[in-house]
Amino acid sequence: MLTADLRSALRQAKVAIIGCGGLGSNVAAMLVRSGVGELTLVDFDRVEEDNLNRQMFFRDDIGRLKAEALADILRRIDPSVLLKVVVERVAADTLVDLVREADVIVEAVDTAGDKAMIVNTCTTELPDTPLVTVSGLAGSDSANRIVTERIADNVYLVGDLESDVRSGLTLYASRVMVAAAHEAHVVIRVLLGQLEP
Amino acid sequence: MNVDVALFASLASFQPDGMPGRHSRSVEFPDGIPVGQVIESLGLPDEPRVIFVNGRHAEESDVLAEGDRLAIFPPVGGG
Repeated sequence: MLTADLRSALRQAKVAIIGCGGLGSNVAAMLVRSGVGELTLVDFDRVEEDNLNRQMFFRDDIGRLKAEALADILRRIDPSVLLKVVVERVAADTLVDLVREADVIVEAVDTAGDKAMIVNTCTTELPDTPLVTVSGLAGSDSANRIVTERIADNVYLVGDLESDVRSGLTLYASRVMVAAAHEAHVVIRVLLGQLEP
Repeated sequence: MNVDVALFASLASFQPDGMPGRHSRSVEFPDGIPVGQVIESLGLPDEPRVIFVNGRHAEESDVLAEGDRLAIFPPVGGG
């Protein structure tokens, strides 16, 4: 594709991001900076002070709904980006309607149970929509252990697969952002038709 | 029948050959076994997991066939 075609492919793309915390807020910012035209931002939570160590928020966002605060930040990066803000905790019976129109779905939540629910629901109901998910980003182990791989036909897995926040590992901005950058980059590659091996 | 079994991350230690690593192994099961019974026979812990058969999502009730590729992945928390 020509450069203009590549830009157009991203501008016309719709990406749904489930969770606007450490992963989702950073993924969203990178996708907007890369020229993705439309994002759906799904999150039920509010910004807290201890989110600021890794999430794309500022001190004056504390107390605001994450999805709304993130939308304002994204519009400061690119006022032309189309945003759908959904303030809702995702559940298996409502998820599909939220992400049905997306060209790519990004799982960016924090608990293992919600991750499994999102992957199971999306791959069952929308098997032809590429899905990017993360598992294993906590702690201070080498950032080089975080990789992207295609684990099923339309499922891309980012992470070291093992570093569980439940084991008491700290979430460092650096490693969370490495994982977020992997997620954002595989979204871009998928939108440009460049499949992972 | 033989099924190609890949167990990711912490589940790799449940492979019947006891060898480490997430690479797939050919494992023999009775004909027509459902995924759930494979999980039970391998002794996998009751934790969140995602199941794929031949690259597509599968349920524990799905019945396996000779040569199927079964992959089971346990997400861990953090985000």
